[in-house]
Amino acid sequence: MTRVRMTAPRTAPRPAKESREAAQDSEVGQVFVRSLIRSQLRLALVVASGFLLILGAFPLLLAAVPGLAETRVAGIPFAWLLLGVGIYPVIGLSAWLYIRMAARNESRYRDLADDR
Amino acid sequence: MNPGVALAALAVVSLATAVIGFYGLRISRTTGDFYVASRTVRPWWNASAIGGEYLSAASFLGVAGLILLSGTDALWFPVGYTAGYLMLLLFVAAPLRRSGAYTIPDFTEARLDSRAVRRVTSLVVVLVGWLYIVPQLHGAALTIRITTGLPSWAGSVAVVVVVCLTVVAGGMRSITFVQAFQYWLKLTALAVPILFIIFVLAGNGTPALAPPAANPTGVAPAGLYQNVSLLVALLFGTLGLPHVLVRFYTNPDGQSARRTTLIVLGLMSVFYLFPTAYGLVGRVFAPGLARSGQADAMVLLLPGELVGGTAGDLLSALVVAGAFAAFLSTTSGLVVSLAGVISQDVLGGGVDGFRLAAVVSALVPLGFAFMTDSFALAGSVGLVFAFTASTVCPVLLLGIWWRGLTDAGAIAGMLTGGVLCGGAMVMGALAGAASTPAWLAQPAAWTVPAAFAVMVLVSRATVHRVPKTMSRVMTRLHTPERPLATER
Repeated sequence: MTRVRMTAPRTAPRPAKESREAAQDSEVGQVFVRSLIRSQLRLALVVASGFLLILGAFPLLLAAVPGLAETRVAGIPFAWLLLGVGIYPVIGLSAWLYIRMAARNESRYRDLADDR
Repeated sequence: MNPGVALAALAVVSLATAVIGFYGLRISRTTGDFYVASRTVRPWWNASAIGGEYLSAASFLGVAGLILLSGTDALWFPVGYTAGYLMLLLFVAAPLRRSGAYTIPDFTEARLDSRAVRRVTSLVVVLVGWLYIVPQLHGAALTIRITTGLPSWAGSVAVVVVVCLTVVAGGMRSITFVQAFQYWLKLTALAVPILFIIFVLAGNGTPALAPPAANPTGVAPAGLYQNVSLLVALLFGTLGLPHVLVRFYTNPDGQSARRTTLIVLGLMSVFYLFPTAYGLVGRVFAPGLARSGQADAMVLLLPGELVGGTAGDLLSALVVAGAFAAFLSTTSGLVVSLAGVISQDVLGGGVDGFRLAAVVSALVPLGFAFMTDSFALAGSVGLVFAFTASTVCPVLLLGIWWRGLTDAGAIAGMLTGGVLCGGAMVMGALAGAASTPAWLAQPAAWTVPAAFAVMVLVSRATVHRVPKTMSRVMTRLHTPERPLATER
């Protein structure tokens, strides 16, 4: 068995991408990078607040409509179905939407950066 | 329950874990294998492994127990545990993978160009890990006591021994396989018994859920503040958990880190349907378990209560196996990430250092577990989430998204969050669960904003300390990797 001495690089440099990062250091490159970061942050915040609004709406709905929480669907009280099952598709859908949009932001950035 | 069956189940899980661990050893030879599985783990494997690692004693036993005790209020726990991953996907997954760092301290040091920040982060990460291992050991102690009648300490010790053996033998590569296997084991171990129980109840002519889901214990419903504070802790705590984050480095690139997270969300959504079902069935058909103070053991006891006989024994054995998979996988995931941090910061980062660090990071929480008593598992894990949300989460979020963060701000913020949240936890523990006011029992709602505020204000006051490398690091965090074919 071969033993390998481990000295993990503390900052994990990536020599292969030196030239790419140099190009991004230019002023124009930095403008593109800043706009990419801004659009990714905006996207994340929009998806997060959308999800939290829906999440907050669930208990409000239960509180606002009297008797709804106790209404039975297939023998199970609606409150349990809503919080125990119904919330998960909302989480999955938010995630799926975010991934598509984030990849789109990145390919737009890539096009811009390559066009120069 | 038949102690022999439970012990056999336990032995099989430990053996399977060890065998898969040793199989992994044969293919883990290099540095990269040891720490991060060479970053070539496929998304499905990786996602199963993340699921396996994340679904701890709290999810397997605690959630169902809490639902039994407090009904729909407790449904916020599984929702929060899952939604925490959504937040991780939105704000952390891809940039963290692109940072190229191995651990959270690696990340903060690279981002802020400061050794001091690294040391504080390491300290916080190790604390979080230890705090999180303790409830796993409590869960193991409870399971052993309830199912075999052996003394509690035997359960904690068994978990620590198996974890040390697998981690010391194989590092992260074998852990990835072990964790992935354990996710599917946990899912089966919860799903099969509850489906069988529901089938039997329906077959007995018990009209499904005819009695109202009554409150068996008279526990007062949690107030709005407590639910909101709990959600803050779970949503923001997940993205600071060391064993969760280290998994993202095993993805080949940022976009695959995102895809992995999406699969994880699916896996967790499916998993949490079952503790919820246990909670509901237990509340209706076995409310006696809540009264006798055995809520956390409800998942283990329900098959015996409602099915009984040989079938009941076999189903119980399956649940015990799943529970041990939960303790083992979460503990080993935490031990690997803690060992990574301790060995790099204290022991110089060799393979032997990693092994020594692994043993230390498993033994310290064992001591804690002996000294403390188990209270509700899901609740104590919830407090660990509050602590992470007040310390690691702000430095990660601001580090990834805000150019103005400085080393001084990061340290001040982490210390503020840690002292406030840690203080609340200690005061809550001293006062006892009954007499703790809500704002101390669920501190996240004020400690997380406080940590963020201090971090931002101190960074603003020390603008001159923004590191010169900042633009370059931000660029690396957020720009997509090129496809390999066009790499120049």
